[in-house]
Amino acid sequence: MTHPPPALTLTGLTKRFGTLTAVDRVSIDIREGEFFTIVGPSGSGKSSLVRLLAGLETPTEGSLLLRGRDITLTPANRRPTAMVFQSLALFDHRSVGQNIEFAMKMKGVKPGLRRDRAMDLLRLVRLPEDYYDRSVTQCSGGERQRVALARALGSDPEILFFDEPLSAIDYRLRKTLEVELKELHQRTGKTFVYITHSLEEAMVMSDRIAIMRAGQFVQIGTPDEIYRRPVNRFVAGFMGEVNILAVSQTDGAPMFADLGLPAHGAQGAYAVLRPESLSPGNGRAVSFDAEVTLKLMLGSRTQYHMRAVGKSLIAEVGAATHTDLSIGQNARFSFDPADIAWVDG
Amino acid sequence: MSGGRHMLWLKVLWVGTLLAALYMPILSVLLASLANTRYMRFPHRVWSLDAYRAAAADYSTVTLHMISLQIALFVVLISVVLGTVGAMAYARYDWRGRSLFQKLLVLPIFFPQPVLGLALLLSFTAVGIAPSWQTAVVAHAVWIVPIVTLVISIRLFGYDVAQEEAAVDLGASRWQVAREVTLPALWPGIFSGALFAFLLSWSNLPLSIYTSGADTPLPVWLFSRTATNYSPLVPAVAVVGTIVSGLIVLALVVVRRILSPGMATDTRRN
Amino acid sequence: MGRRVMRRNPGLWYAMPLILFMLMCFVAPLFIVGWYSLMPARTFDLTADVGLHNYRAAFTDGYGRPLMWSLIGAALTTVITALLAWPTAKILHHHSGRWASLVVALIALPVFISESVRLFGLSVFLMPGGGILAGTLNAVFDVQIGSFLNTRLAALVGMIYIHFPFMLFPLLLGVAMIPTDRVEAARDLGAGRWAVLREVELPLAAPGLLIGGLLTFVLCLGANAEAAILGGRAVTVITAAIEQRFNYAQDWPMGAALTVLVIAATAVLVFPALRRIDLNRIIQR
Repeated sequence: MTHPPPALTLTGLTKRFGTLTAVDRVSIDIREGEFFTIVGPSGSGKSSLVRLLAGLETPTEGSLLLRGRDITLTPANRRPTAMVFQSLALFDHRSVGQNIEFAMKMKGVKPGLRRDRAMDLLRLVRLPEDYYDRSVTQCSGGERQRVALARALGSDPEILFFDEPLSAIDYRLRKTLEVELKELHQRTGKTFVYITHSLEEAMVMSDRIAIMRAGQFVQIGTPDEIYRRPVNRFVAGFMGEVNILAVSQTDGAPMFADLGLPAHGAQGAYAVLRPESLSPGNGRAVSFDAEVTLKLMLGSRTQYHMRAVGKSLIAEVGAATHTDLSIGQNARFSFDPADIAWVDG
Repeated sequence: MSGGRHMLWLKVLWVGTLLAALYMPILSVLLASLANTRYMRFPHRVWSLDAYRAAAADYSTVTLHMISLQIALFVVLISVVLGTVGAMAYARYDWRGRSLFQKLLVLPIFFPQPVLGLALLLSFTAVGIAPSWQTAVVAHAVWIVPIVTLVISIRLFGYDVAQEEAAVDLGASRWQVAREVTLPALWPGIFSGALFAFLLSWSNLPLSIYTSGADTPLPVWLFSRTATNYSPLVPAVAVVGTIVSGLIVLALVVVRRILSPGMATDTRRN
Repeated sequence: MGRRVMRRNPGLWYAMPLILFMLMCFVAPLFIVGWYSLMPARTFDLTADVGLHNYRAAFTDGYGRPLMWSLIGAALTTVITALLAWPTAKILHHHSGRWASLVVALIALPVFISESVRLFGLSVFLMPGGGILAGTLNAVFDVQIGSFLNTRLAALVGMIYIHFPFMLFPLLLGVAMIPTDRVEAARDLGAGRWAVLREVELPLAAPGLLIGGLLTFVLCLGANAEAAILGGRAVTVITAAIEQRFNYAQDWPMGAALTVLVIAATAVLVFPALRRIDLNRIIQR
């Protein structure tokens, strides 16, 4: 089996704005046909990075290859890539059809051919064909997303970039579009590079995820790897609410300093314990007493916030479990050391 | 990166040339006024302020300014009153005929001014009104009132109507709402509207030229004297007239600065 | 009762003074001019027989030429000021900051100096022999240059000079209506510099361009002072022709007919354009 060249090869890619380094020596291969997601908080440089990839900014240092060709200095309009913008950046002064045909028009494709292709794309993104003549200003939020997607696909790009396009959309619609985007990725077989600040969103759709912080990739891996083996507290914390327990060495033996319990087999300075791995009762290997301070009903699950010695912790219990604790109550909680992800920083 | 630097210099050059072109004629007027010869021969053999002395001594210089001032003051008054009231209809209230009103109101702005002046001249004469500085005031107002209305409307668009409701809720009467809430909020718009009205009226030529009759405002006098009977007195009066308008604007701004805190204490006392 | 109407529709009441003023001082005069244009030639009477002979005469008696000059001058000025103002607006918008604000203020300032002063300055600058430009070049570099003062070109330069700000300021608003991300999206989809201009920037800035163009064209259509001060006797514009009918020929109905023709030309342009523009949206920015 021969390996085709990667869709994108980033080598030491760096972007500085004055004294600020937005993207700091990023190197990675993005594989052909992959759904690759870059996750980071605002200010992490993920938007600058995707703008470098799309050619909207030129890098200060480093190089960028597309299927082995150097495109580091190629301007955006000469790159066979297309982006779905955070604001969508639809051309409000043009109809839906004209938006979708824009890239084809730029390439000089004949109007008849453009129209046929636009109709195909409307079907692909699940918009009715009579939307062709509609003004984009008449479209709803979800429809505008689909038009933006069709417009980007209209250039028949080798790679599609997404700069947080779903960030301004309500929860239910976002969930629907995430699934559709994943399906679309499978149907088109194109390389997708997706930017988001939501690891949850990344988990749903991606083949691989890169976690970005301060201009650099902190961890790159499959959703499962990121979820099970975060490399540090930053990545672990990105997944939402987690319990992080510091491990201290007392007389050569590792201890959970906050709980005053021995930490047998500790493999790092911190233990990351997800709320669902912590449950009421004595059922698991390590147990301790805590006072329930808050109880949140989350539908399928119930969340307990507790205070144990000097540390606030969170436990989540499935609705099927018939445990009912009340606020102020002292109860025993336990967890299994095997569920712990150990990190050093 | 050097390309970007080049572009920047090109831009600076472009803007610089533009400003130079815009100000060169104004500078030329100033230079022309510093001669004492009847015919323009630049560079002047003798640079002198004789023309300014002559202008100061000439009684008609004062008359010209007084007529321009008279017209401008009345135009300011009319346009501020009509403009403030009109802006309420333009931007404050939503009413059935509003969009038509908004469109029709700007028509005098999109109208060739000299043609407007001629049309007004004909109409005034037809109904038996001899053109004078009063008719010039009317002509100016037709053009300036819509502009002032727009200027005040801009202010009003950014104004939260809920403030008035809050004032009513706190027990203010209709008149108190206007005095305590609406007018103070509009005041900056009214002030800039007044400045616009003054400057536009003071400098107007195309309307005045046909509607001011025997009362000659400054720009009309300058226009007629550039064509015939030229002397350095003409540029000198032009410079003086421009400076006077600048000083009046400056005085208005200063008065406003002094008045504003005073008004604030007034409100507190009430 | 009056109070209740006021409550329900205060807007109309606030609009009333303006409406009355405009009816009396703008609409009524236009009607009078229109009526006069239908009167027999050289009459001062408003009750004679109505007819269209003045309009017929307007086209047969050689008034077509001044009208044509005015239209050509207005069209040329509009196009040239637009070409000058577009890059200027782009620069000022792109580098918005303290310097740009200063430049904008400096461009606005001369608008408030009477155009008779500025045009006079331009003529003094361009004057042959002892003018500011020719005199300086002669004295400093010993170069003699001619002058295009008293030509049609000089009148055109004057019109461009006077009306440039009227194009620039609406265009600044127009350029501000182009979101950067739309330009980036177009570039990302393969548009080059010209395609971006044609497909994205111009359509998005169209309201500003339209207002600026309209304002410039209409103001130039009636412009008289430029031709009078700078054009010498090289060109007679329509306003000069009307004035001549009114003052020297004492032929009011003919002057009125010419006025109506100019107003008609203006209306043909202004009405459709204003219907397209949402002034509210532009003012609110």
